[in-house]
Formats: sequence, structure tokens, C-alpha cells
Amino acid sequence: MNPAAREAATRDPAHRDPALRDANPPHQLYLPDFCRPRAVLAIVLICELTALVLALARNEAVLGFWPDLGRTSMFLLWIGLFGAGMLCALRGYLNRLSLPKGSAIVLGLTATLVMLISTVAWQFGNRAGLLGGSDLVPQDHWTFLLRNVVIALVVTALALRYFYVTHEWRHNVELQAKARVHALQARIRPHFLFNSMNTIAALTRSNPARAEEAVQDLADLFRANLSEKRNQIPLSDEIDVARTYQRMEQLRLGERLRIEWKIDSLPRNALVPGLTLQPLLENAIYHGVEPRPEGGVVTVVGEFNKGMITIVVRNPLPAANVTMREGNRLALANIKERMDLMYDDRATVKSGRFDDEYIVTLRFPFQPIDGARGA
Amino acid sequence: MTLTVLIVDDEPPARDRLRSMLLEAQGFEIAGEAENGRRALELCDSLQPDIVLLDVRMPGIDGLEVARHLATLPEPPAVIFITAFDEYALQAFESEAIAYLLKPFRAEKLHAALAKAGRLTRPQLQQVASASRESTRRSHIGVRGRDGLKLIPVDEVLCFVADQKYTTVRHQGGEDLIDDSLKTLEEELGASFVRIHRNALVNTRYLERIARDATGQHFVHLRGLTAPLEVSRRMAGDLKDRFRI
Repeated sequence: MNPAAREAATRDPAHRDPALRDANPPHQLYLPDFCRPRAVLAIVLICELTALVLALARNEAVLGFWPDLGRTSMFLLWIGLFGAGMLCALRGYLNRLSLPKGSAIVLGLTATLVMLISTVAWQFGNRAGLLGGSDLVPQDHWTFLLRNVVIALVVTALALRYFYVTHEWRHNVELQAKARVHALQARIRPHFLFNSMNTIAALTRSNPARAEEAVQDLADLFRANLSEKRNQIPLSDEIDVARTYQRMEQLRLGERLRIEWKIDSLPRNALVPGLTLQPLLENAIYHGVEPRPEGGVVTVVGEFNKGMITIVVRNPLPAANVTMREGNRLALANIKERMDLMYDDRATVKSGRFDDEYIVTLRFPFQPIDGARGA
Repeated sequence: MTLTVLIVDDEPPARDRLRSMLLEAQGFEIAGEAENGRRALELCDSLQPDIVLLDVRMPGIDGLEVARHLATLPEPPAVIFITAFDEYALQAFESEAIAYLLKPFRAEKLHAALAKAGRLTRPQLQQVASASRESTRRSHIGVRGRDGLKLIPVDEVLCFVADQKYTTVRHQGGEDLIDDSLKTLEEELGASFVRIHRNALVNTRYLERIARDATGQHFVHLRGLTAPLEVSRRMAGDLKDRFRI
């Protein structure tokens, strides 16, 4: 790495790039998406843990531990699931609020919800005669309400704090990933840039028309790389970038480079992080085609099945006595990180050598660009 | 006097550019063009160019290794390295190359480098060559015979065996004599080779088994070699440690 790039990579990304800092102001309420199963599962777990704590603490004599736990769980799950539904519906509005205001509103809503459900439960228990004589729901209505609301507020406040801290942590990971993308670009570009310039210099003499095309391609590639909107782009754009890149390398490597595209089945409007396919192609050429005197064939195969997109890039490996070039892991780890940020744990990036080939497999859910959630 | 120049680059446009620039230069003549390291060495052998314009990053045998093999010639050509962007290689150039050019280079830079190469005397060239002989790890062992340069991939070498004067390299295609000492080969080839005796260095990828006879003497059996090789008492311990036996 040259000194400037090293310096850029070590510096705090937020200081380097003001756009990164302002992209997601930190002191804002953050709620996970309660319309999604993962977050609902979190709610269920919180309810069950609270029920467990309550049942253990109460040491119920009449009912015994298990029935008490079951009853408390049912009561809390009603509250939790209604709460999840409520937050799912209000998420868009709540996430725009400041941290104190948003937290206050969520706590207020929770208190109201708990009062409502507690009242219903109390009335139901009263009607069914469960209250008479025993102290299953021992206090009068108001004491019961008050206790429930205070417990709910404490638990909700803890949960909010947890979500906030987790989000902050993810936000930091995201910043680091962005910083690494920048570092990666700074790392790979020079070699490619100077070789391309040399190719263009050669073509200017022998074939000015192709030289002109090459300059335009190079400009397109750099524009795509420098763009600030590279986080989420349609797959068709990423394929275009990869093809432009292929044209540049084809000029340089000639017949030694062949790329077979089998991607007709892929939905072109799928949402992908920018710079996913192109770096894979760059790796395949750099590690698999350039070091082989006879060149090689890179295949890109795309499949679309049951809402999942699979893209497989394969390249031959150089003869065993040629030392592997470095820099492969970095690009792959980087793509994996950005895929994770966009699709959570639903995306996978796998890679490895099989016989005499190196194969990278990307798998991610199809999200059309129009219905995309603003992450 | 016209000096002959060999162009070595794996990229066709890069060769085109060099060719057209050389045609404009005075006092130089293109001897030939090679698209990879192996071809470059063959052409150097047959054409005996005065100057080699050598791309560093090439498939198979790269530019640095070509230079290293060229340096063993009795009359090495003047090597001018060409590269797009290689920070590590640049350090090597400082000591070993007569000049280096960074792609895309200007015609004046090329002319200056050629002129510098043309001015060098034979002792100067040999001095530069001797620096380059020591540096890179080779992927091929060069053998100079009556019919020119033969390149043996290091991976196909079973073992090196030394006697008083020469080193014999036994490989899948037979055996040949080379000038390198076992000590320098061991230092250069490092991890994939192991010294089993004062006079033998074997390739671990062909190691089949280690046997011991009644007197306690260890022997190494190599795949593709019928006669076992003797392991010295001193090296037997190291060998056992290395393969955990």
C-alpha cells in the first residue's frame, strides 16, 4: 500500500468522509423491524425470560411453579405480541423521532397496552370465578394494574436500551465495512489503472477508434466506483459494470481471457450492493487467468429459484508451482460483509478450491429495487 | 553499431506499443518478441539480443525469474524491467536492473533507458547480473546443455545430490548437472525441500517413507526413485521432528 492509502485506511472513516457520518445520525431511536420473524422471536424470548423471573421470584404456593410459569407466560405473550404488532405498524413513524422522544412514546404506548390487557385479563378472571377465595390474582384491580405497568416499563426500557446498543454496534460495523471498501478500491486500482492506460496508449497508435471506446469504458468504470450511491443498485447495473470491466481486460489479455456468461435467468431489477460481481470477476482474472500462460475460461452462472438468487463464479487455477497471489481474501470478506449488512443472515458467500478450479458462490434473497426497504 | 532488442510482454497491446516506439528509435533493431518467460529464455538463447525489455508480471516464469536465468549466461544481455505497478519489485530493480520503466512510459524514457543499456560495458553487465542471481526464488531450475537452456520445474525435482564438484538434479525427466551448491538451493527453495544428508536435499512432496535397517541407519524412499537415499545420523532427528514420527 502506498503511504497515502495506508493513512486513509487507518484514519477513522467518520472523519475522513462527512457523508458517512451524516448518513445515519447516531442519537436517534432505533427499533428493529417487528414485522420480521427475527424481531418477533426476540420479543417472545424477552416475554418468556420475564415470566421465568417472575415465577421464580413469586414462589407460588397454591398453583406450583409450572402452572404459574405457564399462566404468566400466556399473559405476557399477549402483551408482547400485541406490542410487536403495534410497533410493526408504527415503526416508520417512531424511527424518525429523537432518542428521548421516541423512547418516551414507546414506553407510553407499552404502559397503555399493558393496562388494557391487564384489565381484560382481570375482568376475564373475575368473570370465570378464578379469583374467588384463592389469591391467584390477589390484589384489587388497581394494584394489579400498577404492578404490571411498572414491571412492563422496566422490561421495555431495558429492551429499548438493548436494541439501541445493538444498533450502534451494527452501525459501527457498517462504517468499518465502508472504510474497507474505500481501502480496497485504493488498493486494487493502481495496477489496473496503469495497465489500462498503457493499453490505451498502444491503441491510440494502432486503432484510435478502439482507444476512444477504451477511454469511455475506463471512465464508466471509475464513475461507477466513485459513485456515492453504490450501496444499493439494480443487478443490471452491476452486470454492466462487470461487462465493461471485461472489455477493458479483454483488450489487454486478448484471446487468453474468455468469460462465459450464463445469467439469463437472473432478475435484472434485483437489489445488490455495488461492487459485488465486478470484484469477483477481477479476482478470477487476476488469480486464475493472468498467471496461466495459456489463459483460461471464467464462467459466471446465475440461477433464480424460490426467491433466492445464486451467482457462481468459477476460474481455473494456475499450475501448482506458481505461488498464489495475495489479496483474494480481502475482497471476498468485504463482499460478505456488505451482503450481510444488506440481507442480514439471509445472504451467504462461499468460496474454495475444488479440484483444479476456484469457485465463489453468492446466494442472496431477491428484493426488487422498487419495493426495497430503506435500510 | 546497431543493438538488438528483445521485447518480452504477455499483453499484445503492450508489445505493439513497444514495437512501434522501437521503430522510431535510432540505432536499435528488434531481434524478436516473446509473450511469456519461457519463450523469452528460448529466444535469448537463439537470438543473443543485446538488450531485453522485460515485463515483470507475466504468467508462468515471471520477469524477475527470467532475469535471474539470464544472469547465468556468460554474456548476459542488458535487462530493462517494465512494470505497471509493483512496489515490491521496484526495490529489486534498484539493485539489479540497469533501468526500469513504469507503464505507460514516455518515448523519451524508453530512449534514455536504451541509451543507458547500450553504453554499459561487459564487466558492468556481469556485475548487475551477479546481483540478480541471488535474489528471487526460482520456479524452474535452469540447466545449460549442448542444445541450449533446459528448464526443470522445481515441482518435478525429486532431489539434489552433491558430489565433490557438481550437483546432480534428479527429476521426473531424468537427471542433469547444475552449478548451484546444495547450500544455496536449500536457502532458496526453503520449506518444500529438506536436507537429509550433507550431500542430499530432497523434495518433501515425493517423500514416500522413511525406513530403518538393522544397524539403525535411516533411509528415505522417494516416489519415482528406486534406490533409497541415506539419512545422516545428525539429520535423522530433524527429519523425525518435522514429520512427527
